[in-house]
Amino acid sequence: MTTVPVPWAEALGATLPPLVVQAERVAATVMQGVHGRRRPGQGDAFWQFRPYLPGDAASRVDWRQSAKSDRLFVRETEWEAAQTVALWCQGGPGMDWRSDRMLPTKRTRAELLLLALASLLFRGGERVRLFGLPRAFSGRGAMSVLAQSLPRQAEAAADSRIPRHSRAVLIGDFLAPLEETRRAVAQLATATVQGHLLQVLDPAEETLPFTGRIRFRGLGAAEEALVPRVEGVRALYEDRLARHREGLAALAAASGWSFATHRTDQPPESALLALHQRLAPG
Amino acid sequence: MWQVGPLAFAAPWLLLALPALPVLWWLLRVSPPAAKVQDFPAIRLLRDLPPTEETPHRTPWWLLLLRMVAAALVIIGLARPVWQPVGAGGGSGPLLVVLDNGWAAAPDWPARVASAAAALEAAGRESRRVALLPTAPPETGDPISVTALMPAQEAAARLAALRPHGWPVDRAAALAAVAAFRRTNPGPLATLYVADGVEQTPAGDAFTPLAEALSAAGPLTLARAEARPARVLPPPRAEADRLMVRVLQTPIGAASEATVLARTGDGRALASATMTIPAGAGSAEAALDLPIEIRNQVVRLDLEPEAGAAGTVLLDERFRRRPVGLAGATDTSADAPLTGDLFYLERALGPYAEVRRGSVEQLLSRQLAVLILADREVPEGREREALTRWVEQGGMLIRFAGPRMAERPDPLLPVALRAGERQLGGALSWDRPQTLAPFPEGSPFAGLVPPAEVTVERQVLAEPSARLTERSWARLADGTPLVTAEARGQGRIVLFHVTANAEWSNLPLSGLFVDMLRRLVALSAGVQGNEGEAPLAPLEILDGFGRLGAAPPAAAPIPANQVEETAASPRHPPGWYGSPGQAEDAAWRRALNLTAHLPAPRPIAAAPTNARIETIGGVPTERDLGPWLLAVALLLLALDLLVSLGQRGMIGRQWSRGARAAAVATLLLSSAPARAEDAEAAANATRLAYVVTGDSAVDETSRLGLVGLSDFMNRRTAAALADPQAVVPGRDDLSFYPLIYWPVLPDAAQPDAAAVSALNTFMRNGGIILFDTRDEGSGDGMNPGARAALRRVTRDLAIPPLAPVAEDHVLKRAFYLLPELPGRYAGGQVWAARDQDRANDSVSPVVIGGHDWAAAWALDARGQNPYATIPGGARQRVLAYRFGTNLVMYALTGNYKGDQVHVPAILERLGN
Repeated sequence: MTTVPVPWAEALGATLPPLVVQAERVAATVMQGVHGRRRPGQGDAFWQFRPYLPGDAASRVDWRQSAKSDRLFVRETEWEAAQTVALWCQGGPGMDWRSDRMLPTKRTRAELLLLALASLLFRGGERVRLFGLPRAFSGRGAMSVLAQSLPRQAEAAADSRIPRHSRAVLIGDFLAPLEETRRAVAQLATATVQGHLLQVLDPAEETLPFTGRIRFRGLGAAEEALVPRVEGVRALYEDRLARHREGLAALAAASGWSFATHRTDQPPESALLALHQRLAPG
Repeated sequence: MWQVGPLAFAAPWLLLALPALPVLWWLLRVSPPAAKVQDFPAIRLLRDLPPTEETPHRTPWWLLLLRMVAAALVIIGLARPVWQPVGAGGGSGPLLVVLDNGWAAAPDWPARVASAAAALEAAGRESRRVALLPTAPPETGDPISVTALMPAQEAAARLAALRPHGWPVDRAAALAAVAAFRRTNPGPLATLYVADGVEQTPAGDAFTPLAEALSAAGPLTLARAEARPARVLPPPRAEADRLMVRVLQTPIGAASEATVLARTGDGRALASATMTIPAGAGSAEAALDLPIEIRNQVVRLDLEPEAGAAGTVLLDERFRRRPVGLAGATDTSADAPLTGDLFYLERALGPYAEVRRGSVEQLLSRQLAVLILADREVPEGREREALTRWVEQGGMLIRFAGPRMAERPDPLLPVALRAGERQLGGALSWDRPQTLAPFPEGSPFAGLVPPAEVTVERQVLAEPSARLTERSWARLADGTPLVTAEARGQGRIVLFHVTANAEWSNLPLSGLFVDMLRRLVALSAGVQGNEGEAPLAPLEILDGFGRLGAAPPAAAPIPANQVEETAASPRHPPGWYGSPGQAEDAAWRRALNLTAHLPAPRPIAAAPTNARIETIGGVPTERDLGPWLLAVALLLLALDLLVSLGQRGMIGRQWSRGARAAAVATLLLSSAPARAEDAEAAANATRLAYVVTGDSAVDETSRLGLVGLSDFMNRRTAAALADPQAVVPGRDDLSFYPLIYWPVLPDAAQPDAAAVSALNTFMRNGGIILFDTRDEGSGDGMNPGARAALRRVTRDLAIPPLAPVAEDHVLKRAFYLLPELPGRYAGGQVWAARDQDRANDSVSPVVIGGHDWAAAWALDARGQNPYATIPGGARQRVLAYRFGTNLVMYALTGNYKGDQVHVPAILERLGN
């Protein structure tokens, strides 16, 4: 079960218009959606009239058009399909951390953003999948199922079943070595998946507000670092964090992806708005 | 022992650790505190930080200083520092502690023992052996002697067991004891002499020789109380209407005050007399004025603030005054100067007894010890019956002969009389006027010596009978009885065979007459005039502090006729003596007072020049600083712990936020107006109140009285009263109290406008004020001017028209049915508002009387009534409490009980 209640995420998403993902090439799915495929197929939008060919069902004849001339025409609609957006929320003990009781954990914030984004997508008629899960979710009722499936998503942001030309949004702290993130992004980029990285950090991870002699202990992996005077290394730490972010931005840009950051002490609406703008067309 | 100025160290080698403090400083500086552990996901970014950042952690200088001070305090504290150590008398060899433990040492005994104990402790530190010499003869009756040399701890135990005695020190015997001690221990000797500073004999006792003998043996330290006078309270002088008390003291440079308290047998104080002793004077005198009934309850006088046997006088039967009634033949001639029947009797008895005059009937209506009838016949009828009954119940009837009796003898005589009188040495007689024979043994007059010039010219003669001899208490030289007596029932009839004036003999003119009457009056209460050699055993003995206790085994009985001459000693300690079989009867006890034979206290002579003088008390004695230093060090370390915790962030923001909130709350609470709390406390319970008069004794009595009344009511009624409250009208809110008790002092001021308006509002809203002038039945005796003060106090108050409390007033039936409303005094009149006044449902807003109710209700901390009721009796006190109950019920329920009067009428109406 996820820690984020679905209504909360829906309420958060309700503040924004339905999200129709900008798609130059829509993933090859059979699901009907809002993205025209520029060729005849299933859909609501008119595509072209073509002469009647033997074998066409009589019901498909467009009688109004046929009456204008001697020939019979058949009305064809454009093939409209839904875009698939693959979402991923980073797991691991590091995400379950917060520096202050007043702040949410990074995982809480990341899942909230993920669900709010999914809610926007569902309202726009798009399909959402999670990494590591076999099928996509769509429709209004899919929200609760999606929320319940969150714990079952893949540890790493890699899934060969992601259809080509779909889009991906990866949310996490991305504090792992840059190489790991680069590999994941590159793999997705080879599958022509366009994506977006959102780094969610606790404010303490950004500013290192501790003082004195502190023995830092990593979460999960048994890793320790003794800092005799934390205030003395603060500038250095901030510098290292900035360089890490630059690296993330660079590897994203190299694959045509985008990168943004979010802090848990900031309102989630701002991050959601940024995602919305990033994914919406135009 | 190593001493630096006033500071000494018992374990100085520990101070060697002090130079190690800089090492500690260096260690504290270089070793960083333990790191705080912090979970942190972005730890990867913190790995492999460049080593240049690893600068040594710096402890703040003030924290370092704190720790260094704590460490230094621990070191110094363990070195056992002693502030102003008392030396063990200097010199070498054993230490002799000489301690005056006579009566003069009792008032500041703890300080004296502390002074000696300090020397013993110092001797213990120096491992010197100690001997003790108390200079008062021990109560076992053994001679004074120096104890054997013993370790200081053992001597301290002996010292703690010493008590001041109720007799003087004997320095001559102490000198002999020192000489004996020196014979067995000739070596060097240091001495501490804790002297009481008083010469015990008028000629000067052996203080100077003793001090010189001690200083010859080695260094002498003389400890004495400088500023404190030694005080003595000699037995008082009984005057006609009061006791004159005197206080003797060693003259001091400043004026001082002394108070003498008169107490009953159970310790209640009945009266006090305060006197000021001028600077340089040796004595002062004051009078204890007491009504006669109260005075006879006094059994001891205590000098305050001087506790001790020398400040205590036990008063036995000799100080009692007995009521003696006088009745003559005719009222008109009885008082005629020099010739009247009662003229000499009144003068003879006046100083020693309370003399009452009146008819026989009037006299017998009150308590009377002795009734003297001077040549008055007792006619048959009511008067004779009443007299007979009174004598048989224990009264003492003394009759004087005279012409009337000689004509008509009556049965109320000890012997049958011949008709007519016998004349000696008259014109028609050959006889010479007769002198008195020596008083026979067994007569109450035995021991008195009849002067030769007392002669008898006329007398009445007794019929010879077999019992005449044993009934004769005094005879003339020729053997005819002069005074005869006979026991009737529990009482006695005594007949003087001469007149009470100088007509028949010149006996009334002599001092013998006074002595004879005194013995007879004393006899009336049961004290045998002459106990002879009968031994009186010690019953209760005063210790040096003036406390009564069981007699020590060595106390010996005193022959009864020598009590007055006996001086207090271990063999005869001061206290009560009497026959053990009659111990419970106070009249049979005789008091042996220490101060009866003490000379006026004189300061001792100057000490030998080479003696070191020390002052007892006042100066700080030695003080062990070790525990205090260690405690301060612990505090500092605790503070350091808090600081360290704060530095490591273990006392987080929440903690400090909570602390700040607590501090703010404390500030708010402490600065909240106290007046509001008072009002809340007053409103939460029903309580009585009294007006503060400014006289602390009166206020305390009021408080105790209301405490006693509240207690009585809580036990007996459904009312639940809390502790009483002192109020000042005009300043305090009176609306919480149903009843305010207001004792009116003679110097009470008129209340100001604010107080008047507060009191009028209080009365208008149903409150009741009980004014008490505390003077009922004594006229202006007890509280002169209180009536005028009452008029002054109530001038501006809205007092309704008053009327005496009638028989059917609600005050007399609100809870108990009361015939009268007594307080400490009985009788008299209580006033309340006229019943016709319908304002406030005819509940009187004031009750006015003078019975000193609070004193009757008063209950002290031990649950006893500190004030005697007058005329007395448990019944009067119960009635006083009942009046209080009725009054509070009246205040709480108004005229509810008044309405009950109509219950029969209401029932009747309901029935119809």
